[in-house]
Amino acid sequence: MTWLIIISMAAVVFVSRHLLLEPKIPIRLSKNTLTFLSYSAPAVLTAILAPIVFVPEGELAISLYNPYLTCALVATVLAYITRNTLLTTVLSMGLFFFLY
Amino acid sequence: MSTTQSISIPTSKMKSFLSGALAVMPLTIAVIPWGILAGSFALEIGLTAVESQAMSAIIFAGSAQLVALGMIKAGIGFSSILITTLLITSRHLLYAMAMRSQISPLPLKWRLGLGFLLTDELFAISNQAHGGDTPAQYQFDRWYALGGGLTFYIGWNIATLLGIVAGQSIDNLGELGLDFAIAATFIAIVVPTVKKPSILVCVLVSLILAVVCAVFAIQAGLLIAAISGMAAGMAYAKLTNEGIFDTDTDTPCADIAPTKEDTL
Repeated sequence: MTWLIIISMAAVVFVSRHLLLEPKIPIRLSKNTLTFLSYSAPAVLTAILAPIVFVPEGELAISLYNPYLTCALVATVLAYITRNTLLTTVLSMGLFFFLY
Repeated sequence: MSTTQSISIPTSKMKSFLSGALAVMPLTIAVIPWGILAGSFALEIGLTAVESQAMSAIIFAGSAQLVALGMIKAGIGFSSILITTLLITSRHLLYAMAMRSQISPLPLKWRLGLGFLLTDELFAISNQAHGGDTPAQYQFDRWYALGGGLTFYIGWNIATLLGIVAGQSIDNLGELGLDFAIAATFIAIVVPTVKKPSILVCVLVSLILAVVCAVFAIQAGLLIAAISGMAAGMAYAKLTNEGIFDTDTDTPCADIAPTKEDTL
């Protein structure tokens, strides 16, 4: 069962990455589909990260004593100001492991 | 410059390969805690060491792997896992679309190889390489992309292996807060993409719904939050007549605009 999941997931992921690189595939994505898809990266990534930050122990933790939240806020400010991926991740992770 | 590429790889290709490897190095380092988590978490929920490594080696999609592991742990069925994977991976359709004009003319082995390696990180460094230029304005370097993609692949798999090895000897690896690495990386990727009010709306709706669903332990939370966020962003853009393709950014949608001949 595990192998079925792994191989099926691999197929889904690979097809999504490779499909539109094939010259023989005529692109028929409408403008609306493209617009909708353009929101997929921010929406999906946010939906994954938000519970990690706000609900670390299974309960809502909006408090400065929640290191996930404080460090995520620091990361947000760093990312906004510097727009530098490495600086943002390294500094906020460093602070997190210091606080945690 | 040598043209005898059958004998040795010409130095210019090697140079491109290495500069791609170097460009992706910061992101590769940032993904290490995340890879360790993927390896140790897989073991923790009952996968064998081989299965755990195979996830990283064959699927090669960090967020999809971790979300799927969480779903396997929660006893969620096969079809729900695949639907969620499809949603999480749907952003790659857009990356491929944006890079179509450069990669689709390459030979099949290159298309398959770069397609397999096309991650958020490879897309990010491929865009950095040409600054603000549109794809038509710069020379796509396949060796640069291969160097970046392969380096990231190897880094991800070594980190996973570390997680598997550590997970076998150290208990409670999951309690070290490695999951913050995911949050930090995604914040670093998402924040700079918020260049329009509609994207902010999308992010906020997705964030609030994801938190609400997590608090009430709703299993389909990721699907609900992400699809609602996408719909809210699109609705806001339509209602306010916001420009869909902003031309001076390096977001995927901006890169698609110049390849109009493809969309017709």
